[in-house]
Amino acid sequence: MADEAHLRALMLKGLAGDQAAHRAFLTEAAALLRAYFRNRLRGAPEDAEDLVQETLVALHTRRDSYDPSYPLAAWMYAIARYRLIDHLRRQRHRSHASLDGIEVGDSDPEYEASDARHDVSVLLEKLPEKQRTAIRLVKLEEKSVREASSLTGLSESDIKISIHRGLKTLMRLMAQEQAT
Amino acid sequence: MKTDHLIDMLARGVEPAERPRWARRLALTLVVGLAAAAVIVALWIGVRPDLGSARMPVMMKAMFSAAAAAMMLPLAVQLMKPGRPLGWRLGAVGVFLGVCVVATIVALMGKAPEERIAAWMGGAFPWCVVIVPILAAPTAAGLLWLMRSFAPTRLTLAGAAIGALSGGVGAMAYAMYCPVDSVAFVTTWYVVAIALCAAIGAVIGARILRW
Repeated sequence: MADEAHLRALMLKGLAGDQAAHRAFLTEAAALLRAYFRNRLRGAPEDAEDLVQETLVALHTRRDSYDPSYPLAAWMYAIARYRLIDHLRRQRHRSHASLDGIEVGDSDPEYEASDARHDVSVLLEKLPEKQRTAIRLVKLEEKSVREASSLTGLSESDIKISIHRGLKTLMRLMAQEQAT
Repeated sequence: MKTDHLIDMLARGVEPAERPRWARRLALTLVVGLAAAAVIVALWIGVRPDLGSARMPVMMKAMFSAAAAAMMLPLAVQLMKPGRPLGWRLGAVGVFLGVCVVATIVALMGKAPEERIAAWMGGAFPWCVVIVPILAAPTAAGLLWLMRSFAPTRLTLAGAAIGALSGGVGAMAYAMYCPVDSVAFVTTWYVVAIALCAAIGAVIGARILRW
């Protein structure tokens, strides 16, 4: 499994704009996060996968908060732990609000591990128009920022900011959806 | 959505990350917060009338408050970002509190027994406990806003650090008004005022800093 130095090298390349390294970082982070959340949410693998996805978006949108002079694992797990606490707090609120309680256990062992319950493409629809369009063009239809800019008439920095804000909002929506 | 698809989406078209200029923004926030507090003192609360002749004690109290803020600064910076060790920065705050306790005792021992209560309480209600949090509010608002654009993961602690840091800044401005020059008063009630700011910050931070 990925060690600190390896993961850190990928992260730093990703921060410098290396797309393949960033993808490799997120892929390896996903495996580590899956183990982390499954260990802590036994009997709820869907919740664990939801949290993996939510945390990946957090790692991506908050990547500028990583300072290379500190260990990467500490940074990554601090974010994972924070997402987990946030999740548990929401869940507690929910169980207080509802009279029915929550069904625990009975998770399907055949459950597809890497498939979360929430559908990001549905959540995208809830974003403000500008953010949604920017994410759709660049992140889903693989257009460059420049192409997206000329298609929408927005400036390139406007596109980038819209994507960034949109992804941050998306992470919040993912967290809220788990709680309802 | 499969996690692999999400990763594809996130990584697609990724660009070099911007290096946020947090040190500059932090410095600017503190300066603006201090200026706002000074304006509130000058226009609303009133500068002490003998400011000209009392320059030394005013300076000393402002320096003490600045030292308190400086003690909190490394802690607040660490708490802005995920997974940073706190270590000696928490220890520094503890040492500062210890020094304040010792200074209070030494200062009171130097007074005649019948003067001690007055030197400690300042002869009236210690208004700094009420006014310093008000003067800290502009700085605290700025710092909360700044911290929201980072990724704090220990919200209560982060809020407390922001509160105490703002309290130190607020107390610097309060020194222009504060009519009590007794050492034991300052090392007790300024610290209580700043601690109250930390408590308020902890409660507010836990709510506002969520992301």
